[in-house]
Amino acid sequence: MTANTQLSVSGPLLKVEGLSKNFGGLRAVNNMELELNPGDLAGLIGPNGAGKTTVFNLITGVYVPTSGKITFNGQEINGLAPHVINQMGIARTFQNIRLFPNLTVLENVCIAYHSHAGYSMQDAILRSRKFEAKEKELLEKAQDFLSIFRLEDRQGEIARNLPYGEQRRLEIARALAANPKLLCLDEPAAGMNPAESVALMDLIHFIRDRFSLTILLIEHQMRVVMGVCEKITVMDFGEKIAYGEPREIQSNPRVVEAYLGRGAAELAEKFRRSKAQ
Amino acid sequence: MMSKLSKPTLWFLGSSVAIYVVLQILVSTGLLNSFWDTIIRIGAVMAIVSIGLNLIYGFNGQFSLGQWGFYAIGAYAAADVTYRWTVNKSADGLVILFLATALSGASILWLHQRIAKVRGIDPLSAFTIYLTSTIAWSALAFWVGITATPAVTALLNMLPAAIALQIVFIVAVLFSAILAAEISYLFGLPILSLGSDYFGIATLGFTVIVKILLDNSDTLLGFVEMKGARGMIGIPKITTLFWVFFFLMVVIVLVRNLLRSSYGRAIISVREDEIAAKAMGIDVAEYKIVAFVLGSFLAGLAGGLYAHINGFLHPNTFNFIKSFDPMIIIVFGGLGSITGTIFASFAWALVLEGILRIFLPQGFETWRFVVYPLLLLVIMLLRPKGIFGDYEIPFLRQVLPKPRHPEKEKIEAEKIAEVQP
Repeated sequence: MTANTQLSVSGPLLKVEGLSKNFGGLRAVNNMELELNPGDLAGLIGPNGAGKTTVFNLITGVYVPTSGKITFNGQEINGLAPHVINQMGIARTFQNIRLFPNLTVLENVCIAYHSHAGYSMQDAILRSRKFEAKEKELLEKAQDFLSIFRLEDRQGEIARNLPYGEQRRLEIARALAANPKLLCLDEPAAGMNPAESVALMDLIHFIRDRFSLTILLIEHQMRVVMGVCEKITVMDFGEKIAYGEPREIQSNPRVVEAYLGRGAAELAEKFRRSKAQ
Repeated sequence: MMSKLSKPTLWFLGSSVAIYVVLQILVSTGLLNSFWDTIIRIGAVMAIVSIGLNLIYGFNGQFSLGQWGFYAIGAYAAADVTYRWTVNKSADGLVILFLATALSGASILWLHQRIAKVRGIDPLSAFTIYLTSTIAWSALAFWVGITATPAVTALLNMLPAAIALQIVFIVAVLFSAILAAEISYLFGLPILSLGSDYFGIATLGFTVIVKILLDNSDTLLGFVEMKGARGMIGIPKITTLFWVFFFLMVVIVLVRNLLRSSYGRAIISVREDEIAAKAMGIDVAEYKIVAFVLGSFLAGLAGGLYAHINGFLHPNTFNFIKSFDPMIIIVFGGLGSITGTIFASFAWALVLEGILRIFLPQGFETWRFVVYPLLLLVIMLLRPKGIFGDYEIPFLRQVLPKPRHPEKEKIEAEKIAEVQP
């Protein structure tokens, strides 16, 4: 496991400028700005339908932006194919888990490691010595990843038979096997109980430090977001409405308005003032 | 390498050779008559086609009905080459097929490596480039081939006739398979980006086109010896039990080597979840075309072998209705199971042509096409995932290494270190 700390350029790892995406007449993302420095653990929050997942899909190449610029590690990446972006160092997980359901746990991780396999198709078909050596190395590395996520005893099981929490963990393990610099987690705590969420938060901190990662996560559970993220960007109707540390975000009237409506925001403001007096 | 062969490998190789030897002895001594001999050979040929289709549909998840078209291309191309050698006493077919497939194959590979790097090139433009280059190289191959033919013919005539025929046969079969693979590449490039159902219909269209062209092969294509809808006769019957077993073995081993590697897992990941595969760095378009071309190569190979079993080819054999046969075989044997495919291929040949023909009373042979679908229906109801499901014999399985616990070991090592300062 080599940590990816060497960056080709100093400055932000990911920079999103003026990013917009239209679906027909619907503007899902509008003039979005986002900046991540190496080592950041940032959150992206917003009410349902704010366009968070669309931003993820734009960063990872699933959608092509209508306008705007995404720069990763000094290179412009908008319009590149998803697999190229992944190979450049952005890995992701999905809101609704997308494992390879009929493959074993170990194979799931091995697939993410494919672009680093190090042998050609001819080597594989003819079972050359290079294949034997590299394949052994690949399997061992995949097992290392499983071990970090305490899934080593599950390696032979079919992925879809795993319990929910383990599927989530496996998806993160698989994303990490691609050796990314930036990890995008789309609602990693969805469907988890409070205890599992706490364990997940510890896990996110741990992998950030262990692999020197930069992490961007979408999350609805405020407990997780506020507990784990150092910087938070808030979106509403496809636009960035706030950015700052968790404490600032919690008291930002625009954020309260976006989540709870205008009346609630005014009420909160009144309450704060009366408290201050 | 030989010393490292694992137990499953030895079992597989040993039992395959044993089966071959027993069958060969039975056939040579006349205990199995030529009727059963032919059925076994057709079963093996079907196994090769179906393994190819399993690669495309069972492992890569692309519903293709084009397999039969590539089978037809392989059959007619190989048959034409050996026909020209035995009847016309000329190696022109051999030389031109060899040169054309080799040159255009090399140009496709060369272009593929360059074009893949170009950002945002659309499939149709790429297709045009490939097609132009293929046509240009084939024209050159034709011209060079015509000039080189007398020399090659003379060279082959210096060898004993039987050996020369075997050489022509093997080269014809292999390069017909490459021809089928190249056509599948050109055909697959623009249509593989279609969704699965549309892809199925497009490939069905391909099979229909091939059949129509073969119906008019003497007029439209200008191959007089193929005799169009009357059927091609006079092909040497040289596909022996040895050759079909040899090719089937090689195919099984190589396909297994591919599938049980990182490339095989990449191919399978496309079937499992395209979006997730892309997000994990798998070039989905690339692996779709890889699986499609390899599958079509196997179809072409099987076609070449089939053409030399009966010595007779008819366009009706390559009717699109028949294109469902390999599809039935792989679904029946188990999608994504090579073991099941091999078993089902032989079962298909033995039951449909052999057992049913014998057990049904005189005059009721045609009823086998009623009994056979009923049999399929019952088996699919009893075992909806196919006879073998996703079972594989140990030789064909993915070998999982022993579980390792590096993290646990590390923690234990730390504990020990703490205890003993």
